Amino acid sequence: MLDQLGNGLLLGIIISVASVALSLLYGVTRIVNFAHGEIIALGAIATLFFSSPIDYRILFLDKFSPLGLNFALSCILAVIVCGLFGGLLELILFRPLRKGNVGNIAVLVVTIGLSIFIRHLYLLFATGKVQNFPLELQRRQTYLFFDMTPRNLKVLIIGILVMILIGLLLTYTKLGKAMRAVRDSEELSSVSGINSDNIILITWISSSMLAGLAGVFQATINDVRWNMGFLILLLIFAGTVLGGIGTSFGAMVGGLIIGILVQVSVGLPFMEGHTEAKNAVALGIMIVILLFRPQGIFGQKERIS
Amino acid sequence: MNSLLISKRFIFTVVITSLSIYLVFLLNPEGALRILINLLTFAGIYGLSAIGLNVHFGWTGLLNFGHASFMGMGAYVTLLLMPHAAGREGEVTTTGLPIIIAVFVGIAAAALFGLLLGLPAIRLRGDYLAIVTIAAAEIFRLLVRDLESITGGVYGIISYTENLQKFRPEFINSLSLSYEFAPSQAWVGIIAWVSIILTLFLLKRLNSSPWGRALRAVREDEDAVRAMGKNAVWLKLQSFMLGAGIAGLSGVLLAFNYGSLETTVFVPLLTFYVWAIMILGGVGSLTGPIFGSIIFWVIISETDRLAYIFFENANGQQLAGFRFLLVGLLIMLLMIFRPSGLLGKKEELLLDVK
Amino acid sequence: MSSNLLEVKNLKKSFGGLQAVDIKELKFKKNQLTSIIGPNGAGKTTFFDLISGFQTADSGDIFLNGDDISNSHPYQIARMGMIRTFQLTKVFDRMTVLENLMFSGSSVTNDSFTKSIINTKKQRNYEIELKDKSYEIMEDLNISHMADSYARELSGGQKKLLELARSIINNPDTLLLDEPLAGVNPKLAEDLLGLIQKLASSGISILMVEHNIEAVMKISERIVVLSEGTLIADGSPNEIRNDQNVIEAYLGKDDG
Repeated sequence: MLDQLGNGLLLGIIISVASVALSLLYGVTRIVNFAHGEIIALGAIATLFFSSPIDYRILFLDKFSPLGLNFALSCILAVIVCGLFGGLLELILFRPLRKGNVGNIAVLVVTIGLSIFIRHLYLLFATGKVQNFPLELQRRQTYLFFDMTPRNLKVLIIGILVMILIGLLLTYTKLGKAMRAVRDSEELSSVSGINSDNIILITWISSSMLAGLAGVFQATINDVRWNMGFLILLLIFAGTVLGGIGTSFGAMVGGLIIGILVQVSVGLPFMEGHTEAKNAVALGIMIVILLFRPQGIFGQKERIS
Repeated sequence: MNSLLISKRFIFTVVITSLSIYLVFLLNPEGALRILINLLTFAGIYGLSAIGLNVHFGWTGLLNFGHASFMGMGAYVTLLLMPHAAGREGEVTTTGLPIIIAVFVGIAAAALFGLLLGLPAIRLRGDYLAIVTIAAAEIFRLLVRDLESITGGVYGIISYTENLQKFRPEFINSLSLSYEFAPSQAWVGIIAWVSIILTLFLLKRLNSSPWGRALRAVREDEDAVRAMGKNAVWLKLQSFMLGAGIAGLSGVLLAFNYGSLETTVFVPLLTFYVWAIMILGGVGSLTGPIFGSIIFWVIISETDRLAYIFFENANGQQLAGFRFLLVGLLIMLLMIFRPSGLLGKKEELLLDVK
Repeated sequence: MSSNLLEVKNLKKSFGGLQAVDIKELKFKKNQLTSIIGPNGAGKTTFFDLISGFQTADSGDIFLNGDDISNSHPYQIARMGMIRTFQLTKVFDRMTVLENLMFSGSSVTNDSFTKSIINTKKQRNYEIELKDKSYEIMEDLNISHMADSYARELSGGQKKLLELARSIINNPDTLLLDEPLAGVNPKLAEDLLGLIQKLASSGISILMVEHNIEAVMKISERIVVLSEGTLIADGSPNEIRNDQNVIEAYLGKDDG
């Protein structure tokens, strides 16, 4: 079981970053974004486009050649692209819906349609095949009591640093406080001079950038697939719900727990020969937790009156 | 005034549906009837499923995104109870229940699964329920895939169609010879549409009954339902069971239509197909899903032509991708611009549900 | 057996660190019109939620006609004859006024799934009676002209009327009215007050949370004052008017 811990931590950090992003968006806008996974995939696909050598012709209908940029630069650009994409979604889709007083459930269904639409755009116009970043293979090494490649260790460390940064930003900056104010009451914050439209726009951008980063992580550790976001989306939901939807700290921890659970459950005795079902264990745990503690581990019970 | 308005929409819907069927004949100078029968069979099966989903969402306001698993539960239980072959080696089971009993057990199993899945719904708000149902459907799919000794796993189930086809009336065979369509599919299609008629008859009765009224009240405000001394939880569970049972039947029919059952059938995308059909037909409308389903399947089956415009030599993956692209777009655009669909009542729109 | 209608003992409920309700003992008599008042955040609505089962107390006991209902579900309490309304009016928006009433008046056996499929003659007759009863109440309340309107189309005051109509269709023993006059125009408020008094005199026990102090003083037989979750005064309107604690609670802390 212990040998899976390294894998668990890696999956955990991916889910954790993506869960924080989802939770942040939900906290401020009350949107359960089913298209979250597609932004994750965008991060990976954009990185692939920026970084693959220019003679690489599997992508994009063989018509566009990749840019062949430096890998680190490609990752940063990809995250920025995701941020811009999230901002665009807010401006052309979700803001008009909000102004039109469209209810949350209708918006939820819209995000599902959006998710299916974008995902198959990737399939048709980006890549139908499993791809890898242009990075050389590395051998696993042992760190403390888990083993992983040096590159994956770097991913893990960057992930943890990003989480700490997010935590600090949310707690101490004016912007972070404003986000929490909008979450508590949109009306109140518009009265008190906080421009909630801007806050929501910034939330969309930062949530999408985080999702893009999670996609870069996911593709670095594993590979790039057109449906990679959808495959991991349910685990992200599980992480978010486990920690308490709308609480960023909870989502961080919840995501980590889910990632570790998924990988470690492979080693459970009854799971022998059933590795396909490892996600089922995590999802089952999520459902059970929801049954007994709907507000998650760290969420506050909402006051009814 | 009100009823006049609805009947106008109804006429409009019938005209649109007829036009879309006409389109099939227009675009396919050859073999139109075969294509139409294929399309109507799928439309019947998916329409039936959408009718079940409508009980959940349209009547009771339950956000169910695990519909594919109810269909799957019905299909797997029914098939496994009858003579079939399954698994890597195609292990043959020659004994089993008569089809009519197996189907009823399958429907009951789907309803029970609905009850089980409905239990979390007792305490959860709408968006949480969406997450739980989609997660449960995924668990179902993974288990079916993994429990190879029971379900045949990725190798699926085969050799079960005879259980149904041996009852196929002779006239279908003779008609199929002169009009060139697949008789086995036509037989499944006929059963699907008869099931729709029977289900609608049942639901029409329920919709105008005190029970249907109580479900609508639950949809509107659960707290107020409780305050009136009604057990909202039990009403929701009943709704879950009824809709899941209907989905179970449609799952059985889908399995018979495919001829072999693979784990790739009951996936989340199937649920989203059914959602698209329900929204297109009109959330809360009794007959809406039927028309929605026919139009939906005309769109789906004729989009391949569109795909060929973009991709000269489109492969299977690209064709399927193009269909789903349109499904996603359809769901989005309908929800934004015409959330009441073809036949949904504007006054009962679930738009402002928070 | 206790002759009290409702009795609470050591009732406590807190949210996070906030003590919302903390009441040692409180009894309500039958056939009385009692008002519960207090500044914002005094715990009035939470108190209603607790006694109607919508929230569970952290500790303490609640008795209705001597029966312990501390752990009962809202629908069970409602079936015992105590019906509540809500501060933010809850009507069935996308159902007609008539449907609102018929649903509320319909018995649990009448709502059953199997009966509804079979559609028995008994059920049909019951429905006809129910319809008549609904129209009777609508006529009493002057809303029968709106029978076929969707409830969402009603004004705020009309919704309050509908909620009240719905609450009395099953002849309850006790009504819990949560701010029945909030957001209602003065004319309709007058009518509603008259109606509440009429219901009280017809033998229904009424507990009412209301901010309109003038109205409360006018129709209440007894007033209970809560502040920060605790009971600070209890007595006739006259006693309350001159109570030092009450004046302080209202003026001392809320002096905005």
